[in-house]
Amino acid sequence: MPTLPDGTIQVEQVWKKFRADRTAPKFYDQMKRVGKSIATTGRHDYRWVLKDVNLEVPPGGTLALIGINGSGKTTLLKIISQVTYQSAGRCNVQGRIGALLGVTSGIQPELSGRENVFLYGAVLGMGRSIIKERFDEIVEFAGLADAIDRQVKFYSMGMQMRLGFSIAAFLEPDVLLVDEVLSVGDASFQQKCLNRIGEIVRQGTTLLYVSHDLASVEASCERAAWLANAVIQASGPTKEVVSRYRAAVEENAALATSSEGVVQVLKVDIAAADGGQVRSEADLDICLTLDAPEAYDANFFIGVSQGTAFPMFIVRHSGSFPAGEFEVRCRLRHVPLGKGRYSLWPAMSGHLRGKGKPLLPWRPVTSFDVMGPDLPKLPDGVMVLSPVYVGADWQVN
Amino acid sequence: MTAPDSSGVDTLVVTDLSSVPDEPPPEILYRHRVRFIESLRVLWAHREIVYTLAERDFRAQYKQATLGILWAVLSPVAMLVVFVIVFSRVKSFGSQGVPFALYSFVGILCWSYFATALGSGGNSLLTNKALLAKTQFPRECFPLETMLVGGLNTVMSWVPLALLFVIFGRAPALSTLWVPVFMLIEVAFAAGITLAVSSVIIQMRDLVQVLPLIISLGLFATPVIWPYSKIPTTFHIAGGHHVHKAIVDGHVVAAHWVGGVTVNLQLIYGFLNPLGPVIDNARRTMLLGHSPNWELVGVGALGAFVYLVVGYRIFKRFEVSFADIA
Repeated sequence: MPTLPDGTIQVEQVWKKFRADRTAPKFYDQMKRVGKSIATTGRHDYRWVLKDVNLEVPPGGTLALIGINGSGKTTLLKIISQVTYQSAGRCNVQGRIGALLGVTSGIQPELSGRENVFLYGAVLGMGRSIIKERFDEIVEFAGLADAIDRQVKFYSMGMQMRLGFSIAAFLEPDVLLVDEVLSVGDASFQQKCLNRIGEIVRQGTTLLYVSHDLASVEASCERAAWLANAVIQASGPTKEVVSRYRAAVEENAALATSSEGVVQVLKVDIAAADGGQVRSEADLDICLTLDAPEAYDANFFIGVSQGTAFPMFIVRHSGSFPAGEFEVRCRLRHVPLGKGRYSLWPAMSGHLRGKGKPLLPWRPVTSFDVMGPDLPKLPDGVMVLSPVYVGADWQVN
Repeated sequence: MTAPDSSGVDTLVVTDLSSVPDEPPPEILYRHRVRFIESLRVLWAHREIVYTLAERDFRAQYKQATLGILWAVLSPVAMLVVFVIVFSRVKSFGSQGVPFALYSFVGILCWSYFATALGSGGNSLLTNKALLAKTQFPRECFPLETMLVGGLNTVMSWVPLALLFVIFGRAPALSTLWVPVFMLIEVAFAAGITLAVSSVIIQMRDLVQVLPLIISLGLFATPVIWPYSKIPTTFHIAGGHHVHKAIVDGHVVAAHWVGGVTVNLQLIYGFLNPLGPVIDNARRTMLLGHSPNWELVGVGALGAFVYLVVGYRIFKRFEVSFADIA
């Protein structure tokens, strides 16, 4: 087998199973299992948490793992970092691994921050002399100069995460695994972390990044893999994978909010005001046909989202709405949307709040495509919350 | 960020879900191969972690105590005081002319290292769950690290032993220099047992409750407060015939067996429980000034080695599931 360069991650046909019952095994159940395993030649109850996973990341590459809770992302990271073993398949990682699995993974509450730097450094496979060399940098990055000699159990969650991240990020591993830890930090530290990640990736470190925060995924990774139901559903350029994932999330959101409101949506029409395709910065006509049992004075909302339950913008109309079938027409002027697929979320709330059912619950009813230019590629390590399209005229003198 | 991919890699690949089988093909099932030398080499490469973890535990022990690290010496001294008071009233038995407090303290010291190593080392995988499930380095670092801490604490307890020598106006014999050899045997034995126990305990938590019981029983099964010479050197198993009285070399010998299969129980015991030879020889050399009983030492060393190899194997065999069940 040829040796691959440091920083290579190769995952070939990896499978992982967990025993089906994770609860404390009672004596009786144990005995039953033993009996069963004798009877059926050693087959236990289990479920697959990873099925036939194939990944390859070259040195200096960046890959994001996305997927809903329990889709196997962390398990895959654990296999790659060799914390746990796969049930089948091959996993090959070259070089030193710096794994940040969970905020306080290697942090010992009884010790001071200083002692933790050395302990965690050693755990990440670092010699004492290297840690000493980088100690000041680590403390400065974490912004813990005042607290470094305090016991870590007196740190806040955010401070612990800052310490953990700084150690992992400054000890320059060949492979950096980050599992949903940045979200604990405040916004400015998150940005600092993303910048730092970008920096070490440019220095040639391979990055494997797990997060539910799709904005930071898009900001830090070239490629992504979407895990669902133990299988990698799609992998490739981050943008395309993320948009597929978003579409699936939206579909789920529509199904999940099953609580019916008082007012029913009968029909939704979306069209460009000029009759053609919906384009960036053009006007958009929305026509909703609804059915209400009685007349209401209410607020009517229309929101537009992309892949999340959080709208990019909302418009509102207050007024009276008749009983029976009625139409609500709304023209959105100069829609600031780039190319892509978006969801439409209508909602209606009466002036009497908090009384039983909502008139019309907040949920996506349909999706529509917008033609137009792609949004610009972001600078390294920068994330945008709501990517909207704004036309601009430039001049450089 | 640049991705130096080969061209063509960067296209969207959508998995055809129907192509994923229900079970992996049997030929790719993961088999955990344990290569002994390789594991030792990796362990050696990670020795820094053992030191650092041990340092953590040693510090954490005394972290918020006002007297701090002083306790490391204070607690064995306190134990000694209790010891002297209690044993000044106990009638000594078989201590070969050595003050009984001194005689048994040596035994207790040897025993307490084993007991703490097994007691904390056996649970070490459980107490380090957080690290175990999130970080990657040889898992045997955990039991070994706790054994190192136990060792440090034991070294501290040699201070009151020195005091005890002063109290009784004695000096350790020159042959005390052999003691490190015995300690090495003890450490190997303790490591073997601890590795095996810790890897089993994480899968059968019931043992957490049982372990202290077993350890305290072990105290009485080991010649700690009774002399090793209580174990017969000749033990009859089968054959031969029993005589009630015989005259050997002009002496009258009471009932015993003639012929048949007789074994040296001391050697067998020494192999099964290397702590026996360790304690016995520590006393011989330190208190009585005799040279070590090499036959016993050899048997003990052999036993300890077997325990170490088997225990390490058991540990490595089970380590696959540690992170999943921690």
